[in-house]
Amino acid sequence: MTETRVLDAGSVPERFARGWHCLGLERDFTDGKPHSVQAFGGKLVVWSDSEGELHVLDGYCRHMGGDLTQGTVKGDEIACPFHDWRWGGDGKCKAIPYAKRVPLRARTQRYESVVRNGMLMIWHDPEGSAADHESLPPVLEGVGTDAYTAWTWNVIEVDNAHCREIIDNVVDMAHFFYIHFAFPTNFRNVFEGDKATQFMESTGRPDMKAEGYGDEDLVLKSEATYFGPSYMINWLDTDYKGFLTKVILINCHIPTGPNSFNLQYGLCVEKPEGVDEATAKYIGDKYAETFEQGFLQDVAIWQNKAPVQNPLLCEEDGPVYQLRRWYEQFYVDQADIEPEMVERFEFEVDTTKANENWRAEVAENLARKEAEDRAAAEAGSAVETADA
Amino acid sequence: MAYIVPSLRETLEDRELYTRSSLSDVTCRQCQARVMVRKNSEHHTSIQWTREAVETCAVFSDLDQREDGRPVHSACPQLVASIEYAVSEGMVTVGAGVDPAGLDRDRRADD
Ligand code: FES
Ligand SMILES: [Fe+2]
Repeated sequence: MTETRVLDAGSVPERFARGWHCLGLERDFTDGKPHSVQAFGGKLVVWSDSEGELHVLDGYCRHMGGDLTQGTVKGDEIACPFHDWRWGGDGKCKAIPYAKRVPLRARTQRYESVVRNGMLMIWHDPEGSAADHESLPPVLEGVGTDAYTAWTWNVIEVDNAHCREIIDNVVDMAHFFYIHFAFPTNFRNVFEGDKATQFMESTGRPDMKAEGYGDEDLVLKSEATYFGPSYMINWLDTDYKGFLTKVILINCHIPTGPNSFNLQYGLCVEKPEGVDEATAKYIGDKYAETFEQGFLQDVAIWQNKAPVQNPLLCEEDGPVYQLRRWYEQFYVDQADIEPEMVERFEFEVDTTKANENWRAEVAENLARKEAEDRAAAEAGSAVETADA
Repeated sequence: MAYIVPSLRETLEDRELYTRSSLSDVTCRQCQARVMVRKNSEHHTSIQWTREAVETCAVFSDLDQREDGRPVHSACPQLVASIEYAVSEGMVTVGAGVDPAGLDRDRRADD
């Protein structure tokens, strides 16, 4: 008799990942008002100073805990709504209007920030290290110019899952068929240093037209890389009946608590030649809708699944354990990063065999649907005859 | 500080199994870089590099000289060829799949 397999739920990590995290689009923070962002188990305040530069501090005033996100931007500083203490972007209290001098220890948690590709990135490290600018995601050439449509931006709150669930997607070849209704025709992973990459080519499933990543006529070539723990750039070349489109999809997240995160995604499209502004925007919005559907399909799974530290794998599955080993580097002290967390690992699978089985399943589905349609049509005409 | 800590001892064994077992040594016939390879089937290949091997790889060293650095995703064609050779010579077992049922504890339980 075989032992019953037990799911190991494990413990949730006690800290949040070290690395760059994206808080959103620059353009959404520049209206001269303070903005509130849930992050790392608390709340951050974001505002732009008189020069338009963005600043990020812990959301709570170090005086008596006032909520700075409900304060006011005064000059270059954020003023607390409770007693008007003024906090500068460097984390220091600059003035207390009713006091002769500012206490020496009036310094709060500040997050070093960079605007990259039109997005606000902040450095987070529980050890308090200086920001590592080397590990920022690359500059996307042409993005932000007339060559691309403007970023779309959406946020989905996931309140019952650890953000490692979304990381697992990097290696999860089979879920593209079952969750996103796509045939992965080629699949490859490479992890090295602080980057983890997935390559995939896929087409849509003809039995699930318009319910997943497009129908069978949509051929996707996708290269997706995590630059650090939370920010993925996905270069997508799509071919729809000979109409080629280059899409750049950003898939990033901020942990909001030990078992919750905000999933954020935005995309822009290289404007095809000879296509006017409105059409280019339309194409961008259409892709945004398609991928929103895709993300919601994932979220529905995450919200209901059990956490598993010991997934049981078959030979066709991707390298989940190696990916999690890579991801762990962001949760240990820098001094404790083990060589194998960052050493290069490659995984490649030719999906021919899996696809043979999947194509047979799709053919069955199509045949069943056709039979049902035929039966419905016959029943319909029978009713008509009886009516007549 | 703790990352995600498994609550079962067997989880550590699984981790070991999936990441370290059934690996074969392959040396690149071009540059002598040594990697570990697993082939679950003809259609699958996993390659575990070490830092040393990456530094030894001549193709990667060339790519490292590029202005924007080496694209992490590019594979080394020399190594791919060496793996194919090793497979054809029977030096890498194809079908070296890993299954927790192969572990001793489950064998004991199977009795
Ligand atoms: S609590 Fe912020 S000024 Fe007093
Ligand atoms: Fe997914």
